[in-house]
Amino acid sequence: MKGKIIVVTSGKGGVGKTTATSAIGAALALEGNRVAVIDMDIGLRNLDVVMGLENRIVFNIVDVVNQKCKLSQAAIKDRRIDNLFLIPASQSDNKDVLTTEAVERISEDLKSEFDYVLMDSPAGIERGFENSIVGANEALVVCTPDVSSVRDADRVIGILYSKSLTPKLIVNRIEPQRVQRGEMLSHEDVLDVLSVELAGLVPLDEYVLTATNAGAPLVLQNDSRAGQAFRRIAKRLNGEESLPVEVPTHKTSMWSKISKKFGLAK
Amino acid sequence: MTDENQMKTEPPVKLKGVGGGLWITIDPSRPEDLIKREVKTLFERLRNLAINAEVVIDTGGAKGHEALIKELKTYLIETFHVKTVKKPPEKRSVPVERIRQRDLSRSFNHHRSDVMMLRGRVRSGQKIESKKHIVIAGDVNPGAEISAGGDIIVLGRLKGKVHAGVPDNHNSIIFALEFNPTQVRIGSITAAGVKESSKSAAEFASIDREGIVVQDYLKVNPFGKIPWPEVI
Repeated sequence: MKGKIIVVTSGKGGVGKTTATSAIGAALALEGNRVAVIDMDIGLRNLDVVMGLENRIVFNIVDVVNQKCKLSQAAIKDRRIDNLFLIPASQSDNKDVLTTEAVERISEDLKSEFDYVLMDSPAGIERGFENSIVGANEALVVCTPDVSSVRDADRVIGILYSKSLTPKLIVNRIEPQRVQRGEMLSHEDVLDVLSVELAGLVPLDEYVLTATNAGAPLVLQNDSRAGQAFRRIAKRLNGEESLPVEVPTHKTSMWSKISKKFGLAK
Repeated sequence: MTDENQMKTEPPVKLKGVGGGLWITIDPSRPEDLIKREVKTLFERLRNLAINAEVVIDTGGAKGHEALIKELKTYLIETFHVKTVKKPPEKRSVPVERIRQRDLSRSFNHHRSDVMMLRGRVRSGQKIESKKHIVIAGDVNPGAEISAGGDIIVLGRLKGKVHAGVPDNHNSIIFALEFNPTQVRIGSITAAGVKESSKSAAEFASIDREGIVVQDYLKVNPFGKIPWPEVI
């Protein structure tokens, strides 16, 4: 088995890297792949909480790299989704305990164990970020439709290109209503600046917060629009490249539709 | 010493070899007899070398004196068997002539350009520096920096920070198809970019008496005033 390592990164913090990593990881596993999600944010681990696996951590990625345990011992199996594994970060170390050489070494093992390995990169472009991209075959850049996030994503895309990685873009937390009103950048505006291939568009969704807090997989909730968007992104990554990117739209109510027809609406 | 005195010390006729012929510079303000005598002595010294030579008689820009030149022409052809006697070709002012020669002669083809041309998107955090002019076929994103010793030409959207004419060339310009930089500097003068997006027209920034001004490129056409293509 020769798998792929996909790094999920953004530059800026708080744009949804961890949410995206867990959701896409879960969705790829639902497609029938053997998937590992790895938290590379050493010292500030989150992915285990988001996935609801916090209480089962024994070993972590630092132990694997330092050969204190085997890869299989550190990988925590998700009970709700088959073939989904989490390799958590260490909370007590800092990012300097890992070296790029060590990460490169274990990435070969990871690729032989799993179909897909998703690396949840820390914010920033320092050591932790370098460690997460060193073994990667593909890169997903997450950004939100605001100027500062786009700026940081642009910087990260530049760095990824310089490491011969061609990134794909996920625009997260789109609010169609505000885009329509012109208050928010549209995904076209974002793409104008970043000009990379689009992996998918994810709308702002209140389910994300409840699912994250509860540690429940977002993609299993059928009425979560963000969850469904992440499932489509996973399908696109898993070979269904022709699956069209759905643009989040604002559902107008029956009354406004009718009044529009009669020319009454603004 | 006055101007006149200085001129008097100069010989009335000078002769030098130019390419395949001879170039005689005469001072028509001196007596004709003196000039003729001088020409005679000089050509007698040359003897056979003058046979079949192409001679140019240069009056040093002085107009008229056609009769004198004609007289010298017949004299030289009959006595010394020179091939032709001509007036010097029309001259342009020296600097103009030099530029034109450089641009329109063969050197145009093997000229080493002072322009750095790049293709592609310049992203946030990337910095491009050159002592020459910079041409970028692509967009310059916010957060990117361009600094050039000469002009900066962006064939795309300019949204980053640009500094032309580093360190103190105030004649430099900054051009973009969509001119919307975060900050503009030309030489030592700095201006902040404006928030509102620019018109769809191509614009350029240059230095005016009041500071940096941004104008519609096609309306002002700063390079259109140069009459022929110049190598830069």
